[in-house]
Amino acid sequence: MRSLLLGALFLAAVSTVFAQVKKPTLMVVPSDNWCFQNGFILEYYNQGKMVKTPDYKRALQENSDLLLVISKINQLMTDRGFPLKNLESSLKTLESESAKDAMSQSKGGSELSESPTDKLKKVAKADIWMQMTWTVNQAGPKRSITFNLQGLDAYSDKQVAGASGTGPQSYANELAVLLEEAILSQLDLFNGQLQGHFEDLFANGREVTLRIKKWESFGGDLESEYGGEELSTQIEKWVTDNTVQGRYSVTDATENMMLFEQVRIPLYDASGKAVDTRGWARGLQKYFKEAYQIECKLVMKGLGQATLMVGDK
Amino acid sequence: MRSPTHPNLSLVIRTFTILAMAALCVPALAQGKKADNDTEQWRYELEAVKTGIVGTYQVKVWSYSENATVATEQAKKNAVHGVIFRGFTGNGRVPGQNALAGNTNLEQAHADFFKSFFADGGKYLKFVSLTNSGMIAEGDRQKVGKEYKVGVIVSVDAANLRKDLEAAGIIKGLSSGF
Repeated sequence: MRSLLLGALFLAAVSTVFAQVKKPTLMVVPSDNWCFQNGFILEYYNQGKMVKTPDYKRALQENSDLLLVISKINQLMTDRGFPLKNLESSLKTLESESAKDAMSQSKGGSELSESPTDKLKKVAKADIWMQMTWTVNQAGPKRSITFNLQGLDAYSDKQVAGASGTGPQSYANELAVLLEEAILSQLDLFNGQLQGHFEDLFANGREVTLRIKKWESFGGDLESEYGGEELSTQIEKWVTDNTVQGRYSVTDATENMMLFEQVRIPLYDASGKAVDTRGWARGLQKYFKEAYQIECKLVMKGLGQATLMVGDK
Repeated sequence: MRSPTHPNLSLVIRTFTILAMAALCVPALAQGKKADNDTEQWRYELEAVKTGIVGTYQVKVWSYSENATVATEQAKKNAVHGVIFRGFTGNGRVPGQNALAGNTNLEQAHADFFKSFFADGGKYLKFVSLTNSGMIAEGDRQKVGKEYKVGVIVSVDAANLRKDLEAAGIIKGLSSGF
């Protein structure tokens, strides 16, 4: 009897641990605008077209104000129980994995191309990107700072929190002093909105995007009948059953593709395991194979965009 | 030789002293009570002054009382009350801040907690201090009808206030639920 009770207590403790949702990770990055204004740009050719992207590595190496801002925000967020993911470390991980990525892309033959920022999102796995921009305003001998902090959800790319404003004019020569004041005055406002976003996550799940495409080699299309209904209807049914309160919207649908946006996936599955977009979309991949013997290839972009290529792997 | 005092006269003097002291104290206590009622009825105004050091808000509190001293003293209570339940608007380039309580019914839901928290000499005093030794600037002591409207600048330790309320389970922390 005693051992039975102990066993029950152990099971209760284990289920409590599993039921806890993974704490979202946050990372501070300078905005594209700030990087471009300060000359930290990386240019590369993507499918024959010149693309500009922020050069975070050089910005961190050459701009000490940026380091100060990141460090200050980190200090204040740690105080609120949210230590931040370090951008510099994530960039190093990205560098070490870049060769591996290049190989897997050519082998997979995926038609989706990822920007360096998308790759960083995948490597850093930060749920929220705290993107900041600041400008120094000069009015005679006085200076002030216009500061803008945006919280971007890495899954949906939506802004989920923000705080911005221009601080008081000051004769202070040190830019660091002005920046610190700007952060202090804006961060509580930012965190208030972030808390609202977290409460929404708990209530309505995480927002992601799902694309369904078909390979040319696939015999049918999304209007072909499977199980007495069109394949697209079967997909919609699965998505309805596997989203929080059946929340999603189909923004585009043809016989060759479907686009599901604002798909609210649960934060954890029935066994208490944390769910990410890939894991959730794998469920649909498995459903295709088990119910209709259709092979699919799952391709991820960033953290929150899954594409399922129907008909082959 | 000391002149003998009549025992009745001594009793009369003692009684008179006690009554006189009570008469002096009653108006002050009554005003303090009225000031508390004013706080509960949100009868005060907060405005941003400047961004304080890490985790603090520097605000000007306008309090009302027939007694200017009571209004000054009540400023600390009003400031903490305002930071928790009301928030304050920005002033020019100094941004305002939202209330620590996200729920508007929080005060009623935890009435017992806040009664002792805001009692005279209560815990709220740990999170507030007068700046400039409580000196009131010229123009910040105004006579409005029968009462005074007094503006006092105080510094509220919002970071520690938030932590304290989170630890007591009154408000949710940023990481609660994870």
